[in-house]
Amino acid sequence: MVIDDSSAMRLILGRIMRGLGFDVVEAPNGAEAIARLQSGAMPEIALVDWNMPVMDGLAFVNAVRKEEKWRQITLMMVTTESEQSQIVRALAAGAHEYVIKPFTPDAIADKLALLGVLAY
Amino acid sequence: MTYIPSADDLEVITREVWTSFLDGDPDGLLPGATAAGAEEVTGCVHLSGAYTGSIMLRCSGPAARYAAAALFSMQPADVTQNEVVDALGELANMVGGNVKSMLPGPSALSLPSVVHGQLAVPGAQVVREVALSWRGESLVVSLWQQAAQAA
Repeated sequence: MVIDDSSAMRLILGRIMRGLGFDVVEAPNGAEAIARLQSGAMPEIALVDWNMPVMDGLAFVNAVRKEEKWRQITLMMVTTESEQSQIVRALAAGAHEYVIKPFTPDAIADKLALLGVLAY
Repeated sequence: MTYIPSADDLEVITREVWTSFLDGDPDGLLPGATAAGAEEVTGCVHLSGAYTGSIMLRCSGPAARYAAAALFSMQPADVTQNEVVDALGELANMVGGNVKSMLPGPSALSLPSVVHGQLAVPGAQVVREVALSWRGESLVVSLWQQAAQAA
């Protein structure tokens, strides 16, 4: 699942993920992503932007981590928020990894491999 | 003393974003001003907190369409206004977020806004600016600071 309010960024990340063999669903903010999960979507991994309207990425991570049924979802922040304190907040909330924009496709693949959701 | 990123810092960050998402060519952006023409587009994000101000990307209309076309993998002639707004907003967000990491923190980063034309922030002044050329079109990146903090 790719969650980002920029349709360009969803397109770019979606293309990278499809190239790595994933089926991709998209959401433009955390609230729509939660709605998709509530209607049965169960992604292996969610790539989550931080700054989004309606529900931001940190609120999404908190909401997902509160639900036992969504515990298996791997959460990776993909965001421009690069202050150390922000990274610590996201990881403390339950994000597994953190990628700072701009990124390369290889950087995304490397992080996914580290998380064990991508076999090289 | 508060460190304010230099014009060179703005250029390096912009070049990294452009190389990653638009060109793949670190030399695609050239230093130096280019006439913008009548049509300009500005993408902006605001910072509030330890540093209060804004980061703006102002470019010519053609540069905005080229950027949107590159991000959406389209021909410039096929790009819509929504795609220009989305692209300039995301580019401003990426440049702004990376500039923010060099400024005193903590500060909150706003959602991006995009306007056609130039943008001025009431009560703020430009503290750094770099003029670049991309595909022969103008791109100006500026860092603004609220006057109360700049004083």
